[in-house]
Amino acid sequence: MTSRQFLLVVAVVQGVLLGALITLIILNRWFRLRRSAHLQPRRVAADDAMRRWAAGSTPLAGVLIGLARLPPSLAIDALVGWSARVPGERWRDLAAALEHQWWARLVRTNGSSARWWKRLECARFLSVGAMPGDVARLTRLINDPHAAVHVAAVASLERMESTPLTLAALERLPGLAPTVQAYYAGMLRRSRPVVIQHLLKRLRLTDDPGLSRFAEFAVRLAEPALRERMTALADHQDPEVRIQAARALGSFPHRESVAALTRLAADSAWEVRAQAARALGMIADATTLPLVRGLVRDTEWWVRLRAGLALMRFGAAGRNALLEIEVGADPDARNVAKLILGLPTQALAEFAA
Amino acid sequence: MSSLGGVITNIDFAILIYFLALNSFYALLLLLSIPEIWEQTRLAEDDDFQRLMQSDALPPITMLVPAYNESATIEASVTAMLTLEYRSYEIIVVNDGSKDDTIEQLRHAFDLYEVPRIYPETIPTKPLRAVYRSRTRSRLLVLDKENGGKADSLNAAINASRFPLVIAVDADTLIEPDALLRLTRPFLLGRRIAAVGGTVRVVNNCTVKDGRVTDARVPRRLLPGVQVVEYLRAFLFGRLGWNRLGGNLVISGAFGLFRKEYLATIGGYRTTSIVEDLDLVVRLHRHLRAHKIPYEMPFIPDPVAWTEVPESGKILGRQRERWHRGLISAMWQYRGMLFNPRYGRVGLLAMPFFAFGEMLAPLVEVFGYVVTAIGLSAGKLNWSFALLFMLVAWGYGMLLSIWAVVLEEVSFRRYRRFGDLLLLLLYASLENFGYRQRTVWWRLKAFVTVWKHGRVWGEMTRKGFAAPPS
Repeated sequence: MTSRQFLLVVAVVQGVLLGALITLIILNRWFRLRRSAHLQPRRVAADDAMRRWAAGSTPLAGVLIGLARLPPSLAIDALVGWSARVPGERWRDLAAALEHQWWARLVRTNGSSARWWKRLECARFLSVGAMPGDVARLTRLINDPHAAVHVAAVASLERMESTPLTLAALERLPGLAPTVQAYYAGMLRRSRPVVIQHLLKRLRLTDDPGLSRFAEFAVRLAEPALRERMTALADHQDPEVRIQAARALGSFPHRESVAALTRLAADSAWEVRAQAARALGMIADATTLPLVRGLVRDTEWWVRLRAGLALMRFGAAGRNALLEIEVGADPDARNVAKLILGLPTQALAEFAA
Repeated sequence: MSSLGGVITNIDFAILIYFLALNSFYALLLLLSIPEIWEQTRLAEDDDFQRLMQSDALPPITMLVPAYNESATIEASVTAMLTLEYRSYEIIVVNDGSKDDTIEQLRHAFDLYEVPRIYPETIPTKPLRAVYRSRTRSRLLVLDKENGGKADSLNAAINASRFPLVIAVDADTLIEPDALLRLTRPFLLGRRIAAVGGTVRVVNNCTVKDGRVTDARVPRRLLPGVQVVEYLRAFLFGRLGWNRLGGNLVISGAFGLFRKEYLATIGGYRTTSIVEDLDLVVRLHRHLRAHKIPYEMPFIPDPVAWTEVPESGKILGRQRERWHRGLISAMWQYRGMLFNPRYGRVGLLAMPFFAFGEMLAPLVEVFGYVVTAIGLSAGKLNWSFALLFMLVAWGYGMLLSIWAVVLEEVSFRRYRRFGDLLLLLLYASLENFGYRQRTVWWRLKAFVTVWKHGRVWGEMTRKGFAAPPS
């Protein structure tokens, strides 16, 4: 083949491809418009049925018919959208009724699909429509390798109490990134008793490499039953664990907490000192005021800021301390005091969070 | 004359091979963008944003907003940014020694009061004149500093930021309300993110109300219209394709989220760089690869920021010349990464592509035109063959642009009107006839500027290896 012939072939192929792409774009637009025109009334009807059922003016059957007329993905969107607006008992009735719907059965079988988006669809459905019989399926989805799938599946714990599911989610915690872990924490709040029991066990394993993650999770729960364990962790060798211990102890106004925080306020890691200062402010024990005041002169600016903010929580005494610091000799401490004393209430709350 | 004919044929053959290799790589990016947009669209559709908004899982973000002579738009821009759908974020506006009344506008609009600076200067910047907080908007912090350029302003804002993630946003960029929420999706998916970029779209001819794009339209004028296709191509197909190759070298300076600890480690933005975002991303790759820190730098297509593009050839030419000068500068400066296995796919794939594909392409293209013209005038090349060659080269460019329109159409469909879709197809077709040659000329001028002033080479000698400024 000569180079001219080669170019000619390429030009013809390009021409065909161009024509095909332009046709594809126009057909795709046309098809979508038609589909949207076709589905929109069904979507509105399903929404109306759901609204009337939620208000108690229509039986459940209308909702089921409306959902069945939608493609499963849109039906799941509608369910997820409405799940937050319908009270728990009524929602459970709907979930139970959905168990026998053909499309819901089909979606459930997707839980073991090789395609992640199919599993995701199943996980999203189960996050609002799971029944006790779905525990094994959900456990598998919570252990799914695709993050979107297990993040969707763990949302089922918001509506469902199941010890095996809760434990499966808890076991995943140490391996999760902080943002995902925070999301899990939000979902696990409902299963508090199981979570607390499990955490009490895990927090005793001081050599566990996932300890700091469990401790971080414990901070989010602010559960008094965990106080003793978290106090013990204040002397742990890993600074990350001590940070979490310092954060947790602020929620427990107890003399042991204060004693532990006093030690942590002199920690070699500034992150620990900063959290200790914050926690001491949360407890606001008058005996620790001089200690917090001293932290405003820390070498690390973040500790100074945290200590200054903590002083504001000691009431008039803390404010007076800041006023004294504002005219004191230490220029860094002076600046912190000046900044904090000038902050409006909302800013103060946001800074302290 | 016969030897001239041989030389011309050989050169043409070499150019043909060059474009074949380059276009094959583009074809690879094109293929890789298909599964990527499929996955991203799926994830974007399946996000349950209400649930996310109510959870405290989302990481707090600091928005860095450099402003220089933005008096006319600063109040509207900042007001729009203050109403984004995100739970925990702060905005740091840096008045970079504006000659107009930007700072007065801010002071008046947001009831600013001066506060002492309590944080250390981790990255050295031009001196700060004052730090302000707002009595009415607790999320807002304003820095007033001496003029030092955009990179210097961004560094000043990084110093003042409280949160672990920072996002650089131009003061004249409009961010969609849920863009921050969408941009943090990879964090919620547990990925080790060093930086993440969103899509920048063209706002010209769109309807904007209260700092929000309410109706997306394609510009009727050719120059901004063609840029819509260019932006679609750059973002939806180029960067998505690079996601799969693990080497996104560009996170737009107008809309990119970074992990602050990494920025601080590499000394923040380089104030002497011509295109600070490219320079920053290359340095970030270099640092993370050199220190064997596992990371990802993905591009996410659904978070959107809108920006105005030049409508005059003169301003556009200056912009493109500067961008290309920045590319030449970065490629020269970090040439040690080229084909260096230490930097993995970035060194072996992304850097060579940007150096030999993107950077040298205008030189090769012009050289090809010149050689072809000589060959034709000397009667050594056949007219019909030369025209066929041009047709194939331009047809390929057209295919790539139309492919970008396909990706937009099957995924996000921001342009709802059928007329806008036809306009996009028209611009994608016209781009190769005139506009493309103009961009080649502007990019060529970048080489001339570099050659004349020796700027890039001069800067290179002053740069250390990813060392944070002392």
